[in-house]
Amino acid sequence: MIRNSSIRDSGAPKILRATLLLASAVFAAGTVSAADTAPKSTEQQQIDGLQQQLQAVQAQLKQLAEQNQALLQKLQQDEQRQNPGQVAASPGQPAPSSGLNPPAAAAPSAGMAPPTGVPAQPTTPMSASATGAAAGGSSAFSNVKLWGYGELYYTRPSREPSKAQADLARAVFGIGYSFDENTEFNSEFEVEHAVSSASDVGEFEVEQFYVDRRLNDAITVRAGLFLMPFGLLNEHHEPTNFYGVQRNFVETLIIPSTWREGGFNLHGDTPIGFSWNAGITTGFDLSKWNYAPEFPQYTTALELEDNGSAPLQSTHQELALANAHDLSQYVALGYYGVPGLTLGAAISTGKAVKVPAPPNAPILGDERVTLWEAHARWTPAKFDLSALYAHGSISNLAAANASNPGSPNPIPSDFYGYFAQAAYGLWEHGDYRLAPFVRWERYNMGSRYAGTTGPVIPTGLVPLSATPGDYGYWPQNHDRVWTVGANFYTTPHVVLKADYQWFQLNSDFSRFDLGLGLNF
Amino acid sequence: MNTKYGAPLAVAASWIAATTLAGCGGGGTGTASTPAASLAAVAGKAIFFDTSLSASGQQACGTCHVPTRAFTGDPSTDHGLPVPLGGANMDQTGFRNAPSLMYASFTPAFSITDGPVGGFFRDGRSSSLDQQAQLPFLTAFEMANGDAAEVVGRLQKSSATLQAFIAAYGEAALSDPKTALNDMGLAIAAFETEDDEFHPFSSKYDYWLEGKTPLTTQEQSGLALFNNPTKGNCTACHPSQRQSYSEHALFTDFTFDNIGVPRNWAIPANTPGAVSPISGAPLATINAIDVPADAEYAYYDLGLCGPFAPASADVNARPVLSATTSLCGIFKVPTLRNIAVTTPYFHNGVFSTLHQVVQWYVTRDINNNTGNNPNPVTAGAGGNPYVTVGTFYTAADGTPDLYEYNDLPTAYDANVNVGEIPYTPPTVGGGQAPTLTAGEIDDVVAFLCTLTDGYDPNNPAAYNVPAQCASTAATAAASK
Repeated sequence: MIRNSSIRDSGAPKILRATLLLASAVFAAGTVSAADTAPKSTEQQQIDGLQQQLQAVQAQLKQLAEQNQALLQKLQQDEQRQNPGQVAASPGQPAPSSGLNPPAAAAPSAGMAPPTGVPAQPTTPMSASATGAAAGGSSAFSNVKLWGYGELYYTRPSREPSKAQADLARAVFGIGYSFDENTEFNSEFEVEHAVSSASDVGEFEVEQFYVDRRLNDAITVRAGLFLMPFGLLNEHHEPTNFYGVQRNFVETLIIPSTWREGGFNLHGDTPIGFSWNAGITTGFDLSKWNYAPEFPQYTTALELEDNGSAPLQSTHQELALANAHDLSQYVALGYYGVPGLTLGAAISTGKAVKVPAPPNAPILGDERVTLWEAHARWTPAKFDLSALYAHGSISNLAAANASNPGSPNPIPSDFYGYFAQAAYGLWEHGDYRLAPFVRWERYNMGSRYAGTTGPVIPTGLVPLSATPGDYGYWPQNHDRVWTVGANFYTTPHVVLKADYQWFQLNSDFSRFDLGLGLNF
Repeated sequence: MNTKYGAPLAVAASWIAATTLAGCGGGGTGTASTPAASLAAVAGKAIFFDTSLSASGQQACGTCHVPTRAFTGDPSTDHGLPVPLGGANMDQTGFRNAPSLMYASFTPAFSITDGPVGGFFRDGRSSSLDQQAQLPFLTAFEMANGDAAEVVGRLQKSSATLQAFIAAYGEAALSDPKTALNDMGLAIAAFETEDDEFHPFSSKYDYWLEGKTPLTTQEQSGLALFNNPTKGNCTACHPSQRQSYSEHALFTDFTFDNIGVPRNWAIPANTPGAVSPISGAPLATINAIDVPADAEYAYYDLGLCGPFAPASADVNARPVLSATTSLCGIFKVPTLRNIAVTTPYFHNGVFSTLHQVVQWYVTRDINNNTGNNPNPVTAGAGGNPYVTVGTFYTAADGTPDLYEYNDLPTAYDANVNVGEIPYTPPTVGGGQAPTLTAGEIDDVVAFLCTLTDGYDPNNPAAYNVPAQCASTAATAAASK
């Protein structure tokens, strides 16, 4: 989740103004007490007058106290209802974060849309100063922000129900700190699969860790580990922000969400609705490639998404002792000048860490990884329509692939994917909202290969693991998938999901999913 | 002379024969591209080939690790046995096929955290190359010295080797025999580590990777089958991809496996009451190993389980694992580099050709009495169940054995790897079939032959093709 700068957030709460009034009144009362030295002849009159004034002040104090209490209650109610630090973007509708998807593009009335009057910096997390520090004035935590999100799911492959799984997919906690009105730190820490240890399947990750410095109204510089501004989902992958229990395959297998890199960028918006973001980051490491998987790297749709076998999933570095000899460059542009419409595109390119070759092998050129995408989202009336195309390429792989004939997993020179999605705000009552959707997508993790005719995909039943008798089919690395389902929101921050996915080629992957997601 | 090995090793042989080591400073041993050997490596080389350091006066490291055979043993000088001869009278027989020392210096230390990996000897019982190198000097059926003092005493009588040793470690090192023997181990390890002859990476395959020579269609097909996870799947344990141990592929991942190789009755220790085939003298015994009560034979070589245990002086060696019966019968995966010139094969040398090896791999569990067979035939019931294939498992009299994994007590059959290709047939429900056809076996062998060092891309005709590779090529040619 991207945390946008709330640097310009000011807006002193009403409660503070009420507190000032109270202080003035108390000061006035003190002043009255100091008037006891007046002459006797007029003392009584003065006393009477002062008593009247005091009563008036007391009445005012009482009134102010009541108003103050009411304001406090309202504020608390508002926080409970909306978690004001976390504006609910509609599914697939990114909250602005990198200057590419500002709030003007938020769908106004698709049944999934955020409340009207979304602030300019909508993702201000819950601030400690708004809770624990409210009555105490400034403290060490007054500039601290906390937030979080998470998702759980149940998935059941319809043809292989024995492979049904339930999982706390991720629990993410964020912390931010505003150093001053122009400098802000944000970070997110994620636990995947509930338990993380050397002997468990889970992972603990730092997903974001960066500092923003606003140079002026138009330009902010960011440095650290940050999410790449690609596609509709990568920066806005909270479960309330996308349709379906799992993220779409294109933005998982082609754009390796959650894709983050270390580096820096400059980003900003223009008054007419253009946004831009350009940066220099770490790149990919092809030396991590596994040419010789003995068994299929995934045998279910869930494993396809989670096992990190896609071209850029298996080679991204996540700033974990990342090789930084060669850096990548990217630029992303967006337009949100027309209400309800978001357009965007991005491209990244850079030399990768090369596939290992013998010391005396000829140098055949750089292995360059390039990824580009274009996306659009339109939210007319209660509809929520979106589409995305992403394409990746890697150069100079002929020698590396040719030295591994027979591999079921050579490195692709080209890979791509695209999807189209339509959702409709079918029903809304209070905070309850129901939005069915349908998505068609195609992914191809190897549309062209150099130095080989392609992966050697075994046919027939083959061992899926070293466990005797564990047989199945070796999956294809491309497919077309229909997804039909619905998101049901109990509040803008809690969503229940259900869907069914049909895989055309890897038909054993077809599955039914249930999910629960939340963010705050 | 009928050498079938590549040019570099032939050069090594002549270089070894010509070595005098006089003065240790003259007569450079390296080529222009080879760094000068350290004093330790020079001493190690002298020790490696000095037969006077053995009780028999006839055996050195190089006797069982012959340079022209990729530093493995030579059955032609071992009375045709798959194990080396040794002992004070050179009439004792060893227990295992001598492994190749080529590329041994890349072996990682033993680890068992994520399954056993590494260590030296076929059972990983030595912690390092230098620790391993000391033990044959003291082994009764090898160089047969009684103790370190006896070894050092022989060293002091071998002037050329002694000079080299003193040049490297000083004369004072000789005052303590254990220290001196330890230094001798370090010297041999330096020789095996520094000298390019132990790791030239000069095979046809290497030059193909470097784009300096093509592989034939058959060799490429063999490599593809080697890599294909549902055909040969050889790369699963013998990776053709570079790993962390070297910049080159080593064709071993240094893991251990129990693949249920057949018992080799040509090893005298496998026959009860056997005597020396040379002299008729009793054979040296080794520590008894516990075998299950229902075991078919009294003696088994169980790899990690024993019978050999780590040396007590090797303080960094792996623990004794004889009680961990799940590890019984597993041996370290060897490199396949130079495999065509290192016959016989496996820890017990049961196979003499690569064709036999590959054929055995892909037919091991077909028509055999195994855990995979839904209707196993019990011992002695209804005669011999093995008829056409799978007759690699023989009893002492040469008839098919009633047990398939007959070099392993049946109680440990579950330790045998049956879940991976090529052991597991690729079809289920439709009958069993080998993962490779006869022609594909030829292709795999043709590829394995390209792993022989000594190829010269500028003069391919000079490549001394190993005999079995020549026959493979001839067979393939004849079949087309």
